[in-house]
Amino acid sequence: METTASLSLPEPAHAHAHTSSGIENKKLIMWLFLASDCMFFGTLITTHLIYRKLYPSGATEEGILNITQTFNIELTSFSTFILLMSSFLMAIAVSAMHKGELKSFRRNVLGVIFFGFIFLGCQVFEFTEFVHGNPELGVPPMTLSNSVFGSTFFVLTGTHGTHVAIGVLWLIGLFFYSFSGRMTRDSALDVEICGLYWHFVDIVWIIIFTVVYLVEYL
Amino acid sequence: MATDYHEAVACKSQLPHIKSALGLTRPDYTTGIADWLTTVDHKKIGMLYAACALFFFLVGGIEALVIRLQLIIPNNHLISAQLYNQLFTMHGTTMIFLGVMPLSAAFFNYIMPLQIGARDVAFPRLNAFSFWVFLAGALVLNLSWFFQLAETFGWFIPVDGKTDIVPAVGWFAYSPLTSVQFSGVGTDFWLLGIQILGVASLAASFNFIVTIINMRAPGLTMMRLPLFTWMTLVTGVLIIFAFPAITIALLELMFDRFFETNFFHVEKGGQPILWQHLFWIFGHPEVYILILPGMGIISEIIPTASRKPLYGYPLIVFSGAVIGFMGFTVWSHHMFTTGLGKVATAAFSLLTMGIAVPTGVKILNWIGTLWGGRIRFSVPMVFSLGFIWMFMLGGMSGIMHSAAPADAQQQDSYFVVAHFHYVLVGGLLLSLLAGIYYWVPKVFGRMMNQKLGYWVAGMVIVGFNVTFFPMHYLGLAGMPRRTHTYWSGFGWELWNPVATVGAFVLGIGILLCFIDVVRTVIKGKPCGSDPWDARTLEWSLPSPVPAYNFAAMPVVQGRDAWWLHKHEAGEEARLTYEPIDPHGIHMPSQSWWPPFGGLGFLVFGISMCMHGAGVVFAGYGVIVGLSIVVFTILCWALEGPGGYYIKPAALHAEAGAMGETQSSSEFKG
Amino acid sequence: MHAHSLKHIKAVENRRYHTFFNLAIFLAALTGIEIVAIFLPFMRPALLVLLVGCSIIKFFGVIMWFMHLIYDRPLLLWVFITGLAIAIGTVLALMELFVQSDVDVTAHAMMEGMRIEPKAWV
Repeated sequence: METTASLSLPEPAHAHAHTSSGIENKKLIMWLFLASDCMFFGTLITTHLIYRKLYPSGATEEGILNITQTFNIELTSFSTFILLMSSFLMAIAVSAMHKGELKSFRRNVLGVIFFGFIFLGCQVFEFTEFVHGNPELGVPPMTLSNSVFGSTFFVLTGTHGTHVAIGVLWLIGLFFYSFSGRMTRDSALDVEICGLYWHFVDIVWIIIFTVVYLVEYL
Repeated sequence: MATDYHEAVACKSQLPHIKSALGLTRPDYTTGIADWLTTVDHKKIGMLYAACALFFFLVGGIEALVIRLQLIIPNNHLISAQLYNQLFTMHGTTMIFLGVMPLSAAFFNYIMPLQIGARDVAFPRLNAFSFWVFLAGALVLNLSWFFQLAETFGWFIPVDGKTDIVPAVGWFAYSPLTSVQFSGVGTDFWLLGIQILGVASLAASFNFIVTIINMRAPGLTMMRLPLFTWMTLVTGVLIIFAFPAITIALLELMFDRFFETNFFHVEKGGQPILWQHLFWIFGHPEVYILILPGMGIISEIIPTASRKPLYGYPLIVFSGAVIGFMGFTVWSHHMFTTGLGKVATAAFSLLTMGIAVPTGVKILNWIGTLWGGRIRFSVPMVFSLGFIWMFMLGGMSGIMHSAAPADAQQQDSYFVVAHFHYVLVGGLLLSLLAGIYYWVPKVFGRMMNQKLGYWVAGMVIVGFNVTFFPMHYLGLAGMPRRTHTYWSGFGWELWNPVATVGAFVLGIGILLCFIDVVRTVIKGKPCGSDPWDARTLEWSLPSPVPAYNFAAMPVVQGRDAWWLHKHEAGEEARLTYEPIDPHGIHMPSQSWWPPFGGLGFLVFGISMCMHGAGVVFAGYGVIVGLSIVVFTILCWALEGPGGYYIKPAALHAEAGAMGETQSSSEFKG
Repeated sequence: MHAHSLKHIKAVENRRYHTFFNLAIFLAALTGIEIVAIFLPFMRPALLVLLVGCSIIKFFGVIMWFMHLIYDRPLLLWVFITGLAIAIGTVLALMELFVQSDVDVTAHAMMEGMRIEPKAWV
């Protein structure tokens, strides 16, 4: 029939022009998901805090768990810093995609992935340390099943870690997809919603870092 | 893109085999079973939901009747106590998660996009995914019966010889009964089934909310939305904020059972009461998730049958939203007897009394709508009036529970059973049956048997009252709920057999309705597109509704747009339509990935349960299931949304670029 | 999307770059303050307020700017705030509902053979 240009299928990115609220469908559903996820993490965090309130001494089977002794606040601070900076890079990556600068996008996303891996690495290291404890310094092991604190701590931070891992996989997917030739300025929305997810994981960590780690040093 | 196809076709079966970005053929051209498996049409998905819901209503109903048979006389041993526990657990779980919620979802799917003038929901593939994941969760829960059967034949032996294979912990599964010491594989089936159903409900709700906020026809402002669409929105909001709580509670329970954590293990310092809180933080909004769609249905039928606008529309919308929000603030009234402390008990008591106010406002509005109306007692209307009456009775006993001291007497007695069945059967089920009678003519273009409909209404309402009203007496006389049997001499011998007889009348009534649905689908009397002289946009479409819904997009001129168009004087009361795209209507592509994702969840769920039962290599099944899910998501993303063009019949005829049924009066005028 | 020219988008995004950079530095500084504060011997009474305050500021910094809420339509902010409000309300209510006197900490500890160091907590 006519030329292909006039007949091209409506791309998702054009859809925002037609929505009643003026917000793109994908962006709205992502925000709804994040609002729902607030409740998800809220429930997890509250489980942790309730048991901290009920058992202030942190019960384990093998002796009193001195939580600040177990924690490695320097390492956690470092990974917190890393996650914050990855959020910055992610914001830049989204910007780059809006501008259609694919190279800059790849560079920044690679940075986010790298930082994500560092965060996950720190978490794995931290978990291993906690599980083994340090007999020389008299730090008892803390496992998933030897204390309520261990259960709530590992499940809470582990669930957050799973969110980070899913985010890293998503970003890796976007990174490789950017070489397919199908990624244009119209794909900025897809990058942006991935970014929203990543930032959300970051703010959840901001909360966890304060209420799970820092507050123990009060 | 080379994979796009730009020629418009009259029917999708004429489409050539288009390839997706993955290089696989899109199943757009399919017919028959492949078409139903891969469909993304919200109407077909709605029908699939409805079919499953009706089936599980029958399953849950049979479970209920066996329970009633067991209780018909004192000292009855028709079934064992263990089977009795399994039956009441599965009855509750099935009715709530596999009967009522999917039937509401069926109405959301089919009706809501038509009411807002949309061509489909915002994310058609996600919608299909929700259905298939729902089916996976439903299967995980109910396959436990087959595993139990296999166990009785000796084909399946769970570790430790635990014969508790069907869930038997009650629908709210209080800890510590759910810990590994006290319950078998059944709890795993329950927790994984509910977890998977939660994924389905969440995905569907995100989709519906976006659809309502973003895909309304031009002119359809929020305060012009039909009430049913409003209640869909509020229900969606409730689901997305309530389900995360149960997701986490189930996650913690799963960790307790599979990985030896201490969330609810008393001997390790865990607090079983925490489970109760987390469950009811979900469970109480869930009550409103169940009832609000029913209220939406009633709010459509009553104005239609009264031939009068809904009285106090803004107030009814507002009270719906208030009920939704307050639903999150009253969960502890399920736990008055656990000893929350005076302040908390008083606060939750007051809030619970408060939430009755917006509910009362709604009832007042419905009655106000009836006032002065030219009421037609059609079958849906009879059910709706039954809803108002029965739901009010349930509400009254609800207020009785809100007083904590009274509740201490009623807790865990048959009085509570009577209360929530008045709300959920007398209220909700009647409204869903009303919805079935009201919308089946739209879905299939055929009328259900009205004479039989009045009989069904009579049997259901009478049978229901005979069953559940005596339970108030039984409860006040001290009969505990969930009791397997009872001795004579407590004064329970009279009302138990009465309730059982009522239950069978109720059951036969519902069965007759479902049989009539099937009969109507096959050979019902054809009816026009608007048999009830209704008010909302879906009735402006031909019945059954074409795949693309609206050949031309309507421009909505007011609340009750279709009614205004038909009955109001003046040019501004007419519905107008946007010019039609001469190239055809863009349709979303079908996909194999949603059912494939559902399969992944099914494999995951069953394997987890088998892993819990100690079956060798079941752990690999878990990995396979999760891998299928991840693979599905990847392929889904890479496949691309696609789409094709379809040319409505009206375009071929070039009859003023408009479907005849859509706007005949406009062109006559 | 094509209503805005590429040039316009570039100008907007370049302006945002500076905002993002400043915000990142600010967030890092706040985190630094938090970490230092927990080891300082003084201002212990105000520490909790400081920590909670810092994380709220960080939280809103990220959602408003990195997540574009300040540039986007207000509906998105309301959607998120609704979820956040329900979550925070539930957390606070649950925290209030559980009181230490509900559990016999001493008996629990004796069962586990441990000594107890009760400490006033939040």
